[in-house]
Amino acid sequence: MKKKLRKSLALMCAGALIAATITACGGSSNDSAKSTTQEGTTTIEMAWWGNQTRNERTQEVLELFSETDSSIAVNSQFFQWDDYWSKMSTLAAGKKLPDIIQMDHSYIATYVEKDQLLDLTPYIESGAIDTSNISDTIMEMAEIDNGAYGIAAGISSPGLFYNKTVLDELGITMKDNCTMEEFIKIAKEVYEKTGYTANIISSAHGVDSDIWSRTHDLQITEKKLPASDSTEYTAYFELLKSGIEEGWHMSPEYITDSASVEQSPLVYGSSPETMIWCTVNGSSMLTAYQSAAPEGVELGLTTVPSDDPSKSNYLKASMYFSISANCENVDEAVKVLNYLINSEEAYEILLAERGIPASTVIAESITPLLNESEQKVVYYINDVVAENCSPLGPADPDGSSEVTDLLNKLEEKVGYGEYTPKQAADEYFTEGNRIYEEKQ
Amino acid sequence: MKKRSKLYLFLNKESSAGVVFSMPFIIGFLAFLIVPMGLSLYYSFCDYDILSPATFVGLKNYINLFTNDQTFYNSMKATFIFVIASVPLRLVFALIVAMLLLKSTKLTGFYRAIYYLPSIIGGSVAVAVLWKRMFAVDGVVNMLLKSFGFAGDIAWLNNTKTAIWTLIILAIWQFGSSMLIFLSALKQIPTELYEAADVDGANSVSRFFRITLPLLTPTIFFNLVMQIINGFLAFTQSLIITQGKPMDTTLFYAVNMYQQAFGFNKAGYASAMAWIMLLLIGFITLILFKTKRFWVFEQE
Repeated sequence: MKKKLRKSLALMCAGALIAATITACGGSSNDSAKSTTQEGTTTIEMAWWGNQTRNERTQEVLELFSETDSSIAVNSQFFQWDDYWSKMSTLAAGKKLPDIIQMDHSYIATYVEKDQLLDLTPYIESGAIDTSNISDTIMEMAEIDNGAYGIAAGISSPGLFYNKTVLDELGITMKDNCTMEEFIKIAKEVYEKTGYTANIISSAHGVDSDIWSRTHDLQITEKKLPASDSTEYTAYFELLKSGIEEGWHMSPEYITDSASVEQSPLVYGSSPETMIWCTVNGSSMLTAYQSAAPEGVELGLTTVPSDDPSKSNYLKASMYFSISANCENVDEAVKVLNYLINSEEAYEILLAERGIPASTVIAESITPLLNESEQKVVYYINDVVAENCSPLGPADPDGSSEVTDLLNKLEEKVGYGEYTPKQAADEYFTEGNRIYEEKQ
Repeated sequence: MKKRSKLYLFLNKESSAGVVFSMPFIIGFLAFLIVPMGLSLYYSFCDYDILSPATFVGLKNYINLFTNDQTFYNSMKATFIFVIASVPLRLVFALIVAMLLLKSTKLTGFYRAIYYLPSIIGGSVAVAVLWKRMFAVDGVVNMLLKSFGFAGDIAWLNNTKTAIWTLIILAIWQFGSSMLIFLSALKQIPTELYEAADVDGANSVSRFFRITLPLLTPTIFFNLVMQIINGFLAFTQSLIITQGKPMDTTLFYAVNMYQQAFGFNKAGYASAMAWIMLLLIGFITLILFKTKRFWVFEQE
């Protein structure tokens, strides 16, 4: 009798164990449900990429929002740039994209093509999202196939970040809109006198090659490389090769992981041989670079050197806020989105971390609150670039991430001396076109 | 005699208890291993960019991998170099240290724990980040070398010849798990054999090569197979420390797969890569087992 009882008991325990396992595995996906919870509060999910400053400020703003509108609670997740995109594609596959996501110019076309983003046009027309203070040029940036798929979270422009302290010591001033020739002269002087090198080609962000492409009418607008043959790209690789050979450009030996601002050789390092005096990145990064810079080092911001600055300079949305196509509580998400674009109290906290706010009213109201770096950025955008730039052009077509990776690998090969510039240009032309062809 | 219901009889059979207790594992195995493997096999014959449903394309992914993709070959080469360099060295160090720690003195327990520690924490992201800082141009390794008088700041992580070795050294440093297995095997060698050898006048070198090593071959075989399989699957170190640079010399196969799937949205292509690796590891393991009888001592 005892034996039988023990056995049945054991079986029941095992059965309970199985039941618990299945619930545990299945239950976790229900916890992050977006449906209404108690007291009629709707939970909205939001995700973004960024750095420490952005994460803290955005979370503060979202809490502020919940105070003004207690029926909506916002859950947030944030990641580093690389992790963000792999996470988003996985979530998209399971139709679990967060309601509001940060979007970038280089990915938005892909996501729209695969029907992952919501067209915001009806909400803009009804006034649920107030875009009256945002200029048309900026609204057009997220327009794809006649639908508005995002609202610009801020405006930025690529820029050259340079170590002003080192240049001041040498008595060199960096002019805005300088040409490539003038820049190379300065770079050589800095290298000879101090040992600092420049990094304008291998910054692994594609921003610099973008500038070069625009100057030479080689901007990618559709799924193919616009050049008629590979020789049009040789000059780019030759610039890199000569820079490294002559010494004024950073050699690949010292390029570290440039995705993190804190580890960039512009601000981190112990001696000029391993450090750079300038690099290329989006203008809104100035605050992050300046905070990471050591004591006494002042950073300056100017246009990226090019043979034709008015052609190559451009304003872009630093990033967009988009609503995902599988969002269930669209009206609530729209309310949060509207708050993020138009609320003055929100921007008193966010300031210009994501770029100059798209709404001109907000931009004006926060200018006196900005710190020195951010005011430099405002000056750069409004007074330097806006006066002397040309339109952005369409969003990067699907396949661009692979082409950019190809370009980075070829830059590496030329940098290490494995490829001649001509070989690199040939391979870029053939392989790049092949990659785009597969995505047709 | 009460009539027992069929259910009661079923629940009380010995085998039923076994089945029920293994159900959690079976469900997990099916749900998290078999089903995803089947899906991945299907995706390997498709174009799947994760953001939209998969479209069947037949053998296109496999053909492209072998004919059109230089990165595929680079990553294979890097992974092979990693395995061929790190596995034997790892086993050698594990055996040497195991032999040293065979005698039980007061501190052996402490030493065994210390040597085992790297293999537990070594696969983690934290150690990878630490390793990266150590080998950076202004990192600890260069500082040590300079204090011993060697010239200059060597960029270990950016030099095409040395970058892979930082990863190989990280793998060798984690020899602890193999060492423990060797330790237990060494303890099982009967001491009478050593005593008999002593009587015959053998010195310690021939004792090692004629008694210890042959009797250890089953353990060596086991460690070899396990370490080779793990070596081919290495991922974290490459992703965190070098991201495959410089020039794909440290691009491990798994990292390449990850980049293809999540960086370029080519999950079908990456699935094809996964199945090729599976077949490759299976083939190598098969060869190892088939050649086993030539060098592994079998206990009768």
